[in-house]
Amino acid sequence: MVGAKKKYHVAWMTLAYIALAAVAIVMIIPYIWMLSSSFKLNKDVFSFPMVWIPDSPRWENYLDIWTRIPLGKFIYNTAKLSIIVTILQLLTSSFAAYAFAKLRFRGKNTLFLAYIATIAIPWQAYMVPQFILMREFGLNNTHMAIILLQAFSAFGVFLMRQFYQSIPDELVEAARIDGLSEYGIWARLMLPLSKPALSTLTIFTFVSTWNDFLGPMIYLTKTELKTIQIGLRMFISQYSAEYGLIMAASVVSIIPVLIIFLALQKNFVQGVASSGIKG
Amino acid sequence: MDMNLKKTVGVSLTAVLAVGLIAGCSNSNNGGSTSTPTATPKPAESTNATTAPEEKGNEPVTIKWALWDWEATAYYEPLIKAYTDANPHVTIEYIDLGSTDYMTMLSTQLSGGADLDVLTIKDIPGYANLVKQNHLEPLNGFISEKGVDTSAYGGTVEQIQVNDEVYALPFRSDFWVVFYNKDLFDNAGVPYPTNDMTLDQYEEIARKMTSGSGSEKVYGAHNHTWRSAVQLFGILDGQNTVVDGNYDFLKPTYERFLKMQDDGIIMDYATLKTSSTHYSGVFYNNSVAMMNMGSWFIATQIEKVKSGESQAVNWGIVKYPHPDGVEAGTTLGTITSLAVNKKSANKEAALDFMQFVTGPEGAEVIASTGTIPAIKNDEVLKSIAGIDGFPTDENSKEALNTFKTYLEMPMHDKSADIEVILNENHDNIMTKNTTIEKGLADMNERVALILNN
Amino acid sequence: MQKETTLNTKKSSNSFLSKKVRDHLIAYSFIAPNFIGFAIFTLVPMVFAIILAFVKWDGANPMVYAGLDNFTRLIKDPTFHKALWNTVIYTIGVVPLTMACALALAILLNQKLIGRNFMRTAFFFPYVASLVAVAAVWNFIFSPTMGPINNILHNITGIPIEDLPRWAADKDWAMFTVVLFTVWKNMGYYMVIYLAGLQGVNPELYEAAELDGANAWKRFTNVTIPQLAPTTFFVLMILIINSFKVYDIFINLFAGADNQLNDSTRVLVYQIYNTAFRSLDYGYANAMAIVLFLIVLGITIIQFRGEKKYGQ
Repeated sequence: MVGAKKKYHVAWMTLAYIALAAVAIVMIIPYIWMLSSSFKLNKDVFSFPMVWIPDSPRWENYLDIWTRIPLGKFIYNTAKLSIIVTILQLLTSSFAAYAFAKLRFRGKNTLFLAYIATIAIPWQAYMVPQFILMREFGLNNTHMAIILLQAFSAFGVFLMRQFYQSIPDELVEAARIDGLSEYGIWARLMLPLSKPALSTLTIFTFVSTWNDFLGPMIYLTKTELKTIQIGLRMFISQYSAEYGLIMAASVVSIIPVLIIFLALQKNFVQGVASSGIKG
Repeated sequence: MDMNLKKTVGVSLTAVLAVGLIAGCSNSNNGGSTSTPTATPKPAESTNATTAPEEKGNEPVTIKWALWDWEATAYYEPLIKAYTDANPHVTIEYIDLGSTDYMTMLSTQLSGGADLDVLTIKDIPGYANLVKQNHLEPLNGFISEKGVDTSAYGGTVEQIQVNDEVYALPFRSDFWVVFYNKDLFDNAGVPYPTNDMTLDQYEEIARKMTSGSGSEKVYGAHNHTWRSAVQLFGILDGQNTVVDGNYDFLKPTYERFLKMQDDGIIMDYATLKTSSTHYSGVFYNNSVAMMNMGSWFIATQIEKVKSGESQAVNWGIVKYPHPDGVEAGTTLGTITSLAVNKKSANKEAALDFMQFVTGPEGAEVIASTGTIPAIKNDEVLKSIAGIDGFPTDENSKEALNTFKTYLEMPMHDKSADIEVILNENHDNIMTKNTTIEKGLADMNERVALILNN
Repeated sequence: MQKETTLNTKKSSNSFLSKKVRDHLIAYSFIAPNFIGFAIFTLVPMVFAIILAFVKWDGANPMVYAGLDNFTRLIKDPTFHKALWNTVIYTIGVVPLTMACALALAILLNQKLIGRNFMRTAFFFPYVASLVAVAAVWNFIFSPTMGPINNILHNITGIPIEDLPRWAADKDWAMFTVVLFTVWKNMGYYMVIYLAGLQGVNPELYEAAELDGANAWKRFTNVTIPQLAPTTFFVLMILIINSFKVYDIFINLFAGADNQLNDSTRVLVYQIYNTAFRSLDYGYANAMAIVLFLIVLGITIIQFRGEKKYGQ
């Protein structure tokens, strides 16, 4: 019986591996193509037939992207914005989510519903009123405008609340009986237990600020304030599009994000959340 | 007690919202009230300037210039330098809004109250919108006061009038020609295209020049995915415009080019669109023998031959093909203009800079970079033909002379909406997602709706 | 165990405010930082945007009150109907497919596998990569006459290339192409959410189920799925909202040089954007936005009720 179970297990695992590997390759092919294109002359990027390894790789592309546009400055700006927004989001969202998940107060459900529903309104609909408001505050062409726009989203609250719900109420009750204030519970109990959720929110907020295009496009018209995505668009001019450079810049700008992801996804390890019960 | 608490919280939240609302509302209702107060002292200043006409105001002033593709455009910097050398108290700050959707961005920025002074106008539909939104300073007064001679612009100023008022002055003009690859013609033993080709002759040459297959294939002609590259052959006889509301006249044009596509004379539109193939690339690669394109490509091609990226080193241009019975040198054109923000706080300085760029001095600077300015006289054309890298044959030089230029999109109140419909159907027809008849019928129907609204 | 929340009694008993009031104050204090920022910078413009739906405004000239005109216009507008229809079809295509793939991936990549980190990163990668670049790549691969996909299909099936679907350029296949693209691009994102959610499932529950004789499938349906309910609610909501709000993906995949979508690919937000910024009809555009909002609100409420019944 044991032997049969093992064979079945091995067969199942092999199948899973093959399937996963195949799909993973499909995921990566476009990236490999991007990598290969980043070494080509612009006119060769989209030429047929597809050439995977260019005969004379154009390393200059990787130099040009720093001089043609101030890519260094753009990366700095984008990193600055992403980090600040992410930290603010993490703090305020997890803070607010605790109330929605574990506290009871009047209007909780209505307020929460309203919060989620606002995610549904496309930004294009209130873009101009928001722009006018920002100008009233004198925040046009400042990084502050982007930070204030992105750091207080309903999305983060929604995400954290769902995760907090999976933390058993008994834990929270026990902490209260032990004499912890609500703030203490949040800091000492909820935060440590929700590492996977916090990691998720960090990744998402960071990536979405990193890749945000419309926001910086409207609010940051001064070149020294612009971000990477706007920088990429600068390679698409009225009469041509320098895809070789766009690919090179895209390859470079993905690296910080992938690093953050690799670092954080270690937190997606089973057992982190349940340790509270055993302890 | 808690009911009171809830009420208090509720009331204060509403108060915050209300204050915010009122702040937002009142601002937009006054249409940028913050800039009006600052603008009021300015007229007093300009009256001082006009009482002593020879003295320009010498207080340092900064003008913000809205433009696109700063990096890729050759004439911005020389223009700024030439002007600030002559007017050292002026600083010009450029705001690059990017070329994709530039006019929409400009309109949004202006609606949001951005403090831009000089505005570059990229296309007519966007211009029409800006006029409707009352963002542009009317220029008739300025023109007569400064004695600007609008005839120097070859009739284009009249074409952008709205209700007899003009809101922009052109500084750059481009027109369509045919670029051709001399080496490919030599190899095939086919005589070069001439400055007087009818459409039939053009097609014939294209068919002769198409050869090979696979990666070695040479296409006789190349039509970029813009609708103007195909559709606008139909207006060259002057009988119709694209804003009339009836588009049946486009049938022969579409039939011709669809057949060329089917026969492999030109590249498949659907492939072009999805593979982001740029017209410059296929010309550089010696894959196309002829290409109808705008004169802006002249400067680019010259530069790319020098840098080695373009392998089409032996090339020339000829005049645009014309329908039978129409004079050679009839072609399509576009103009790029400058306008001034109605709410600009530095209006006089902005107007002065605009006059410089659109005037003869600006034209000189622009021509020196290989771009064709709006003031197109013989000297200008000669200097362009004399640029190092410009084809040396007589035909190419002669091709710079145009007989009559039709604007790609004429000035019309609803041109933005009409453009949308025309683009859509062009795409559907060329990808064969619809038949020519159905596409044209759709255009007729929907544009009629717009025109009657 | 729905006990009344009690305040900690270590702090000196504050008899000025009742416990219930203090509870509420504390709760509001948690929400305040996020809500205040949200209210000022997002909620206020949104409210203003809703008001805009009842006026006629071109962005610059004074507004003119229009009552319900914009909404009655919507009812008769075939372009709007088509945009709404396209968006709904797109959502129906994207949501189930993405959820299934994301969940399957999360479960698979939750096991201890060799190269797990690499694979998680590989699947997450399309979400992170710049949309401009990735859409160009995708279009190139699916190019009608010269792209590898059609060439391979041609070699396998023998159908001449001209008769194969033209994918992004084909009005019948465009939606299929973009759904495929979206699932490919986003499944990593939702996989991450599910991964995080899976960490919250108590392994003791699995052990108990195994002891009870449940096989892998039964464990999946009786333990994993119920435990993932809050996560699933979240994923479903965000997927639906994002699908209804889609814009960038369509523009980057389909719009040519003129930045336009034709009527087989026109989606709601594109219509809103065009109406506001190209036709200068902000009021009408925002009326559309409100319809979008109401539809999603309706779905949210239904979902929410479902979650309350199902969870806890």
